[in-house]
Amino acid sequence: MTGPSLHDTLADALDAYDRLGLLGEEIEDEWSYVTELGAAWRERLEHVDAIRGSEPAGHAGPAVDRAIAEIDLITDPHRAIDWLSTFPQVVLLACGEAP
Amino acid sequence: MRFQDAARDARTVVYAGIQADPLVAAAAALLADASPAEHVMARAVMNGETLDPAGWRATFPTLFATEAADPAAQAVRARSDAILACSLQVADRGDEIRNQLRGAIVEALTERLLARRVGADPVHRERRILFDGVRAEIHPYDVTVERAGAAEAYDCKWGARGINADVLNQLDDARSHAADEDEPLAVALVVFDAQRSCAVRLARQTAPTDGIGLFGIGSLDRLSGRP
Repeated sequence: MTGPSLHDTLADALDAYDRLGLLGEEIEDEWSYVTELGAAWRERLEHVDAIRGSEPAGHAGPAVDRAIAEIDLITDPHRAIDWLSTFPQVVLLACGEAP
Repeated sequence: MRFQDAARDARTVVYAGIQADPLVAAAAALLADASPAEHVMARAVMNGETLDPAGWRATFPTLFATEAADPAAQAVRARSDAILACSLQVADRGDEIRNQLRGAIVEALTERLLARRVGADPVHRERRILFDGVRAEIHPYDVTVERAGAAEAYDCKWGARGINADVLNQLDDARSHAADEDEPLAVALVVFDAQRSCAVRLARQTAPTDGIGLFGIGSLDRLSGRP
């Protein structure tokens, strides 16, 4: 039996990131920024997945789970927008990538 | 071109109290020596919903995963612990106060990093820049370096979302008015956020961006003259 792969971890992170984006989109004036920001960071995370997705997640798995739990507590769309930039950086660091 | 203290209106009096909070100086001192990964941790914790240090250590395994063996690694681990503790104190202040503290921390960090390059004397906070025949901007610049022939002006933001047309126009106006007087003036944004997020924000702006520098997480050290 093997543990989760980085692909599994990044897939969970991207699902959570989509939830965060939907919350941020509630700020109508920032809708374009939220969607463009989300697309830019999604591209970066998907790139890591494409290169390293088959690797074991290792300590990145629980770290990303903890980060997902953190952002799932957010109810304020303004704070969600803050985290749309922060969360991918946290995920990248957990995966051993530059933020 | 000349520099002048900002008017002492109600906003500056209240904000001066925030800037004088010992937590601001403590955070700036720690972050001035921090790595980009520690900057990301500080940003996450200060933005965070929870205050459990064990949970945050688990979120950043590359900073906290193992007990460090050698003295240099132990020092880095101690610094990460100190940054975490300080960031949790900021996060614990409540939304309005922590928003103000975070902005003040970026300014204090900028001041500290610039002073490493040019010395403390020419670095100032909350200053207006005046030009002959030009109406003065109401809002002061967050941090200035006031040196003959090598002046600098910075606007500091906690996050990329703080970049807007007003900020860009103010920096561009200062730069162009200084050029009209044949005075070199470097202008830049300091944003405690990822360069990628700043780039997305800047790409959406119609205000001028040419000639305006950007220092974000990963490039903050350049303020102090490090490559």
